[in-house]
Amino acid sequence: MTGLARSVAIKAMPAWRILRWSRRWPILLRFGMLSIAAVAVLFPFLWIFLASLKPPVELSRPSLFGFEPTSVNWSEVWLNSSFARHFLNSVIVGGLTVIVSLIVGAPAAYAFSRFRTGGTGLRFVILAAQMMPPALFIIPFFLMAYYVGLLDTVWAVAIAHLTFIAPLVTWFLIGFFEDVPRDLEEQAMVDGCTRWQAFVQVVLPAARPGMAAAGLFAFIMSWNEMFYALMLAGGHSKTLPVAIAGYWTFRGVDMGKMSVAIISAVIPVMIASFFVQRYLVRGLGGGALKG
Amino acid sequence: MGRQDRRLGRRMVLPLILLLVAVQGYPMAFAVYISAHDYRLTALNEVRWVGMEQYRGLLGNSSYWTAMQNTLVFVFGAVGLELLLGFLLAYLLWRPVPAQNLFRAILLTPMFVTPIAVGLMFRFLLNNQLGIIPVWLRTIGVEIDWFGPSLALFSLILIDVWQWTPLMVLLLLAGMEALPIEPFEAARVDGASELQMIRYLVLPLIRPVILAAILIRMLDAFRVFEYVYAITRGGPGERTETILFHIYRVGFLYFRLGEAAAMAVTLAWVIFALVVLLFRILRRQEAMT
Repeated sequence: MTGLARSVAIKAMPAWRILRWSRRWPILLRFGMLSIAAVAVLFPFLWIFLASLKPPVELSRPSLFGFEPTSVNWSEVWLNSSFARHFLNSVIVGGLTVIVSLIVGAPAAYAFSRFRTGGTGLRFVILAAQMMPPALFIIPFFLMAYYVGLLDTVWAVAIAHLTFIAPLVTWFLIGFFEDVPRDLEEQAMVDGCTRWQAFVQVVLPAARPGMAAAGLFAFIMSWNEMFYALMLAGGHSKTLPVAIAGYWTFRGVDMGKMSVAIISAVIPVMIASFFVQRYLVRGLGGGALKG
Repeated sequence: MGRQDRRLGRRMVLPLILLLVAVQGYPMAFAVYISAHDYRLTALNEVRWVGMEQYRGLLGNSSYWTAMQNTLVFVFGAVGLELLLGFLLAYLLWRPVPAQNLFRAILLTPMFVTPIAVGLMFRFLLNNQLGIIPVWLRTIGVEIDWFGPSLALFSLILIDVWQWTPLMVLLLLAGMEALPIEPFEAARVDGASELQMIRYLVLPLIRPVILAAILIRMLDAFRVFEYVYAITRGGPGERTETILFHIYRVGFLYFRLGEAAAMAVTLAWVIFALVVLLFRILRRQEAMT
C-alpha cells in the first residue's frame, strides 16, 4: 500500500477503531448492558400489549401470562366507541398543521439558508418561537377560541399547534436546504430559470427527503401533543392523547380499553419514526449539528 | 448578493412572519394584557385593570414557589440522569456490537410515544394493586410506594428518564460519530488508556453537542405536564405540582386567568434565558464546522 493510500484509509477510519485497542470494555459486557436497556425499553410495551388482550375480569390480577387472550377490548374500542373519531381528529389536526407549516416554512427556510434574510436575529426568533412554553399561549388561545366560537373544535387545536410546529418545520428545513448543493440552482439559473423557479423546480425536489422527515417529525409532535388539545377540544373534537387520558375517570380505569387506545396511537408513530431518525439530529440543530 | 435576491428573500420570509405574528405575537401580547388584569373565567364582563399587582402577588404565593421549585428539581434531576445514562449508552453503541442497529432502533422508540400514554403506562405498571413491578418487588421483600409523598417526584423523574434518555443517546452518538480520528491516533501513540481518552478527548471534543443536548432537554423538561396529569395531579399535597400543571390548575380549574397568565409570563422569561444560551452554543458550533 502506498503512503498516500494508507493515509486515506486511516482518515476514513472512524475514531472508535482506536479505542478498540484497549480491552477495558469486553464485548460481552457491552452487549449485556445494552440488552438490559433494551428490555427496560420494551417491557412496558409488552405489558400494555398483554393488557389489551386480557378479558376484563383478569385485569385486576397483576400477572403477565396465564390468561385466555381475547379481542373484546379491541372490538369495543374500535367498533363500539368514538375512538375512531378521535383517531381521525388527530390525523386532521396533524395533517393540517404540517401542510400549512411546510408551505409557509419551506420558502422561509430557503431564504435563511441562501440569503441570510433577517440575519441572526430572525433565526433566533424562529428558535425561540418553538421553545416558548405553551402555558403562555393557552390562556389567550382559550379566550380567542371562546370569543370566535372555535372552542371544542379541531380547528382551534390545529391553530394552536401551528405556534410550535411552523417554527419547528422551518428550523429543521434550514439544515436540509444547506445540504442541497448550490451548483444545482446556479445551473438552473444559467439555463434560464429565475431564482424562484430554480427553488421550486430544482431545490425543493432535491430536498424532498429532508422535507418528508421534517413533515413526519412535525406530524408526530402534533399527534403526541396534549396540553393545547386538552384545553381547546372536548367531546367529539378530542384528539387521541385526550381520548387516551379519558379512559381513566373518577369511576376508575378501564385498563383493557386504555391499552388498546395506547397501542393504536403508538403504532403509526413508531412506523413513522423509522423514517425520521436519520434526519433528526441535523434537523434539531437547525443545521448547526451534524447528523 | 444582489438587490433582487434580497427582495426575493424578504418575500419568501413574509408568510412565515405573518403567521408567527398571528399565532405567537398577538397571543403573547394578549397574555401580557391578561396578566395585568383581574381576568376571571367566571366573570368575563368584569375585567379590571390591576397593573403589576398579580406579579407582586406571586412573590408571596407559596404554591407558585413550590411549583417552581418542584419543576427545577424535576428538570435538573431528569436531565442530569439522562445525560449520564445517555452518555453511557451512546458510548456503548458507538462501537460495533452484535445487533447494533437493532439496539439503536429499540433504544430510540420511547421518545416518539405520546407522553400521556407513557405516564398512564407507568402509573399502572407501578400501581400497588394492578401493577406487575410491585408484585415482583414484593417477592424479594421490597415494598415501595412509588407515588407516595417521599418518592412521587422522583418516580416522575424516572419516567422522564425512560422516555427522553433516547434523545440524549441520539444527539451524543451523532457527536461521537463526527469525531475526527487524528487526536485518537496521537493519544494511542502516547499510550493513553481508554478512560483517559474519554476524559481528555471524547468529552472536550463533543462538549458543544453535550451542551446543546442539555439545553434542548431542559427546555422540554420545563414543560412537564402529561405525567403529572396522568399520575399524581400535583399530589400528594403539592409534592409533584409542576409549574405548567399549576398554571393549568389556577387558570382552568380555579378560573383565575389573570393570575395564571402572570405565572406564564414569568416562566416565559426563564425559558427565554435558556433559549439565548442554546442559540449561542449552536452558532458557535456552526462557525466551527
